[in-house]
Order: sequence, then C-alpha cells, then structure tokens
Amino acid sequence: MVSCAVCGGCPSDYVAVSIAIFSMISLIVKSTFPFLMHKVPIAKGSAFWIPVIQVIASFDFLLSIVMALNFLKFQRSHWWLSCYVWAVWLEGPLGFGLLLSCRLAQAFQLYYVFVKRRLPPIRSHMFLPLILLPWVAGAAFIHEKKHLNYRCHLGTHWIIPVVSLHTLYVSVLMGFTGAIRHIEFRFDELRDLWQGILVSASLIGVWVSAYILNEIHDDILWLQVVSRFILLLTASILVLVFFSISISQPLLSQISLRKREPLELKTMGQALGIPDSGMLLQREVAVDVDPNDPLDKLLLNKRFRQSFMAFADSCLAGESVHFFDEVHELGKLPIDDPVRRIYMARHIINKYIIAGAAMEINISHRIRQEILTTSDLTHPDLFTNALNELIQLMKMNLAKDYWSSMYFMKFKEEARMRCCGHEMEEMRVYNFSPRLSCVHASDDPFQQDQFSSRFTQDIHASSH
Amino acid sequence: MGLLCSKNHRYTEADAEENAQATEIERRIEQESKAEKHIQKLLLLGAGESGKSTIFKQIKLLFQTGFDEEELKSYISVIHANIYQTIKILYDGSKEFAQNEVDSSKYVLSSENKVIGEKLSEIGSGLDCPSLNRELAQEIETLWKDSAIQETYARGNELQVPDCTHYFMENLQRLSDANYIPTKEDVLYARVRTTGVVEIQFSPVGENKKSGEVYRLFDVGGQRNERRKWIHLFEGVTAVIFCATISEYDQTLFEDEQRNRMVETKQLFDWVLKQPCFEKTSFMLFLNKFDIFETKVLKVPLNVCEWFKDYQPVSTGKQEIEHAYEFVKKKFEELYFQSTAPDRVDRVFKIYRTNALDQKLVKKTFKLVDESLRRRNLFEAGLL
Repeated sequence: MVSCAVCGGCPSDYVAVSIAIFSMISLIVKSTFPFLMHKVPIAKGSAFWIPVIQVIASFDFLLSIVMALNFLKFQRSHWWLSCYVWAVWLEGPLGFGLLLSCRLAQAFQLYYVFVKRRLPPIRSHMFLPLILLPWVAGAAFIHEKKHLNYRCHLGTHWIIPVVSLHTLYVSVLMGFTGAIRHIEFRFDELRDLWQGILVSASLIGVWVSAYILNEIHDDILWLQVVSRFILLLTASILVLVFFSISISQPLLSQISLRKREPLELKTMGQALGIPDSGMLLQREVAVDVDPNDPLDKLLLNKRFRQSFMAFADSCLAGESVHFFDEVHELGKLPIDDPVRRIYMARHIINKYIIAGAAMEINISHRIRQEILTTSDLTHPDLFTNALNELIQLMKMNLAKDYWSSMYFMKFKEEARMRCCGHEMEEMRVYNFSPRLSCVHASDDPFQQDQFSSRFTQDIHASSH
Repeated sequence: MGLLCSKNHRYTEADAEENAQATEIERRIEQESKAEKHIQKLLLLGAGESGKSTIFKQIKLLFQTGFDEEELKSYISVIHANIYQTIKILYDGSKEFAQNEVDSSKYVLSSENKVIGEKLSEIGSGLDCPSLNRELAQEIETLWKDSAIQETYARGNELQVPDCTHYFMENLQRLSDANYIPTKEDVLYARVRTTGVVEIQFSPVGENKKSGEVYRLFDVGGQRNERRKWIHLFEGVTAVIFCATISEYDQTLFEDEQRNRMVETKQLFDWVLKQPCFEKTSFMLFLNKFDIFETKVLKVPLNVCEWFKDYQPVSTGKQEIEHAYEFVKKKFEELYFQSTAPDRVDRVFKIYRTNALDQKLVKKTFKLVDESLRRRNLFEAGLL
C-alpha cells in the first residue's frame, strides 16, 4: 500500500485510468458521429477548429492528471516524464486553460452576435491565443522558479494564485453567460454553457479540497490515493459534459446520439420554424409567367423560383438564386423576433457573404464590407443592396438564357398541365440556350438530377 | 427449362426489327462519340474584367451568325444600365473625395449639378432603371462635363469605373435616341459580369465548308467566387485562352479593394499553369486592352504595381510604349517558365497582343491560335 500510493499502480488508479480512457473515447465518438453517420459536410473556419481544439485540450487535461499524480508506474529518467511538462504546461495552458478559453471564445461570439447584434470584432483564431496568454505566463513563471516538489505538488503559498486563475476564468465565463441569459436561444446554447460552468466549478471545488488535504496530510497515504482517484473521475466527467457542438454549429445539434429519427431539417429556415420553408405547396397559384415582368417580381412566385433555381444550378450560377431564396425566408420572420433573425442572418453571412464561403455570391467589395461590419444584424435592409446587385446580375446575365432554355419550357408545360388537367402531351423541346448542355463532373454540387427528381415529385403531387 | 427453350427460339419478324433498331442506335452513338472526340475544348480564363466575354462575343460575331436585330435590341437595357451605374459611381466617388481629400474644392460640384447627381444616383441604385431618354441623357452629359466629375474620372483607378465609360459618355446623344438600335461596337463595349458558364460551338472555316475543326468555347466569370466553378471544366481541354488586362496595373479588384489587379492576375495565371489537368494543354496568353495601356503607360509609371517595381522608363512616346509592353511580356514569360515543371515545357505557349474590341485584330489573332493548335494536333498525331 505504501509503495502504491507513492509510485502509483494501485487498483483504484487503474480503475480511474480506464474510466478516463472510456470518457476520451466517448468524447471522440460524440464529436465525429454527426459527420460520419449522417454525412454532414464539415464546416470551415472556427466552427470546425474550436471543437477540435476542445477535444485535444480534453485529452491533454486528462493525460496531465494521469502523469502528474503518479497513477501509473514509470521510470522517471527521461525529460519528458518530468513533472513540469505534465503538471504545469499540459494541465494549464494546454489543458484546463485551453478548454475554458474555447468556451470563452464561443460565449464571446454569442454575446457579440445576440446582445450587441454585430459580428464579433476579433476573429476567434486571434481571440483564443489572446486569452490563453495569462496561462502561458503563469506556467512559464512556475517553470522558472521551480516550485514543484518531488511529488509534483505546489507549496501552500502557490496553490492560491493557481486556483484563483482557474476560478477567474470560470467566473468570466459565468459573466458572459449571465449577460446572455435573457436571450431565447433555439439550439440549447445557454443550457450547454450553464452545464459547463456548473461542472467546472464543482471540479475546482474538488481540486481545492484535494490539494488542501494533500498538503495538510501529506503522510496519510490512503487520502492521497482517494483524492487522486476522485480528481481523475471528476475530470473525466468534466470533459464529457463540457463538450457540446451546439454553440458552434446549431443545425448539427439537432443530431445527437439519442435521436433515432432521420434528419429532417435540411435548411436553417426549417430549423427556425419559418412557415413554408423549403416546401412547394399545392396551393401555390400557377400564374402565367410573362417574360416582360420585372425579374424580382417573378421570383416571388415559388414555382418560378424553383424552376429558375434549377436552371441556374445547371449552369453553375445557382448561388444567386439560393441567396434570393434565403433572404426571402429571412423576410418572413417578424421584426420583433430578433433572435431568429440573427440566426438566419448569421447563417446567410456564413454561407454566402464571407470570402471563400461555400456558395459565395458575386458582389462588390463595398457591399460585402457593409454587411460584415454592420452594427445591427437584425436590420431589415441588411441584405437589400446585395440582393439588388444580384438581381441586376441575374437580369442581365441569366434571365435571357433562361427564357430560351428547356427549364422554362418544362415550367410552362407543367403550368398548363396543372390548370387544364390534361395528360402530358409529347412535346419536342428545343434547347436553344447557350448555357452548359452538360457538365462532366462527378462531384458537381449543382447536379442536374436535382431538378428532374423534384419535377417528378411535383407531377405525382399534382396528379392526386 | 424455360430458358433452354427460349434459346432455341426462332427469330420472328419483331425480333429482327428490334435488332435492326438496336444496331442503328449503336451506330448513332458511335458516330456521336467520334464526333465528340473531334470537338476541341477551349477555355477562356482570366480575372474579372479581363475581356473574356468580349472575346466570346467577337467569336460569335466572326464565326456564327452574329447578332440579329432582336439580340441587338436586348442589349439596350444593358447599355442604359451601364450608363446609370457609371455616372452613379463617378458622382458617389466625387462626394467621397470631397469629404476625405485635402484639396477637396476641386471635387465639389456646382449646386445644380449636385441636384442632378442626387437624382441620377437614386436611379442608379434602384432595381428598374428607366429607359434613357433625351432629357436624362442631357442631364447626364451636363454632369459628366462638370470639372469635379472629370477630376474624379482622372482618379478613376481608385474607384471601380468601367473601361467603357468614355465611349458611352461621348455617345450619349445617339444612345438616348427613341429608335436606338445598338451597333456591334456598342454591344462589344457593353459591360456585364458573367456568372456561371456559357458555351458555344463553332467552326473557324465557316458553316458552309465541312472539313474544319470544331471548337467548343467556354466563357466563365472571373471574380473570386466564380473561380471555384472552373474546376468542373478542366477535363480534356485542348487550349486555355488566358486573358490578362495589361492596363489594370494601377487598379484594385471589384471584389477586394485592398488587392492590386495585376498581382491577382499574376497569382491566378500561376495557379492555372500548375493545374494537373493542363499537363498537355496549350496556353494562349492574350495581353488585352492594349489601347488603354498605350495611353496610360505614358501618364502612370509601371512601377506603381509591385510586380513591375523594377521597371525603368527609357524614353518617351511610342518607343516608351513598346518598351513597357516588352517589359510586361517578359514578366509573363518569366512567370510561365517559373510555374511550368520540366516535364511540361513542351506544351504550346504563345503570347498575343490584343484589343478585344477590335474585330480585325481578334480575327487575325484567332487565326494564329487556330493554326497553332492545328500544328500541334498534327504533331501529336505524329505527322509533323
């Protein structure tokens, strides 16, 4: 018992380590499950990196506790088994500090977007290293002064600043969360933040007691064993509970390991509960489309918009019409519902406006900057200038080719069929459009098949 | 049992007809795929506003049936929109300069012109521009002749002023006529950003002769967001016609006003050259907008662009223009050889000086391109 408490290798130690390994595996499964099972596309930018860094930080944290507190028997001859690497660097800046900083970065983003209603002034990839600096400074200081004893414990004097740094970060996180507590989030962001705060606060409480007990009763060996078992256990629970993807990817949070139904919410519009989002209703009136009408008026008709969208997709110019569609959805949200408007606006900005976005639209630098530096994300005219520019672009570039394309022919035929109820006549369709007749690409995002499958569905629906 | 029986089944008449049909379909498919193989794929690539769509229009004019009256009339709204947009850009620009510049007095308009300017700016930002009539044309002309606007135009490289400005402003009377039908030149000057991909198929010897090459030409958008779509066209390309505007060395991008256009073109050309699909593709570099380059290079030195910062002017007048042009050409050649791996050096690379608005020049240039590609085809087939 004596040797086990000092050198590691007690049965309780092995149990704790296996719990830690199990929790790490569950964390990795939880984070990669939506991407592997449901084949959701991987997000770009901070929405991808922050969860990855969190997983790495959790791993560092658990590993540091295992190595620093002598859970396993090791020979201490190599430098990388030195105490300072584990107890100081891996536990602080690369472990607990990093975990909390990720959460802080996310809470900061939420605060800026939902309370101040603008996009955050500092990007996450700069904010994160910035708030990690105190940890790095503290770790460097301790390493310099070499305060750890041979058993990797700090002296009583040094416990206080270390624990206060830990508590400080938790309280700052609490502060940000408190500032946004009145917002009605749609995707459990608040719940996850409170959860994280609760668990990390209780962990610090356990830690403090463990350290104090260790210091006061350095010679009581069973206390050492028990306290380090509890430490590792609570740390394992912390990393699992602390992790959540809802803040970074709201749509993804709809998928979880528990739910068994297939993913029905394909668009942000549907997730936010916008009426008639993404559906082509039966009762949409099939008006006769006059090519001389202004394009923006015609596009308000949902069937026409679908047909035009399919045409644009087939010649790789679809993003403009999709943007029109989503801004139209945004317009359906009432002005006095800022939270949902902010979700939708942020979604549109991430998908269409940011440079390098998946469906980046063709707008000028000024208009893009206007949107990205706006002081009010809920403003009803946020996207008006961009929309106008795009409608001009569509009018002068796509519309001409559309009228002579087979998509328009099909649309007219369909309209005639719907109002007359006749069987589909055999019609020779000439494709005069100069747009792409075929695209030889297997990973073409704008697949022509989309149109034909949608079209068949419409026919079946209309024949009932 | 049933299968065995069907094997010994005699051919009935229906079967024979089916077989005949099947072979006919197969023959047609084979013919078409052989024809497909002979179609040579040409891509027009380049940064935004480099003249790709203008070359595209020229090819349509030269080798297809050209523009009929219907199509010419369809450009009226485009030309009018260009005029409104341009005057709006100039007016807003003059306001901006008047606010921010030290010697702002030269950018301040007279009060009547300010009223006109506000009105035109309002029209220009709306969705449905009214058709250009005499009255509006008169107002635009008045505003255009204001010295503040002319000063702003002199600094047009800091704003996104299109290259067709001068041409349209000088022809306002004709363009605002009630029975105006655009000329071919007007259509070539009209500026529309291309989005997505457009293609035409043509044969350079004309419709009536049979044994010419068949080309399929693809035009694309040049702005950054459009470039992610290019990758879908990169398979099996015979030749890339890369358009680079040599007169834009002092301008910034439409989609990123922090970035110099020439530097962007340089990077883009480098990227295109390194594409794995283009290992055997011929590259035709069109150094475009030479007419604008001629006038600009005497006023604005080449070394305002960081790629050309080692340029030393030697003389003046025509000699200087030629010297500057040779310098730019050499830069592009250097870039080509830097970006081309040793195993690709035998692909065809030609540089042409073009002015996409000049029909004769484009026809001549294209004939040279065609010759070059034909020679290469024969070489590949082992006949040369």
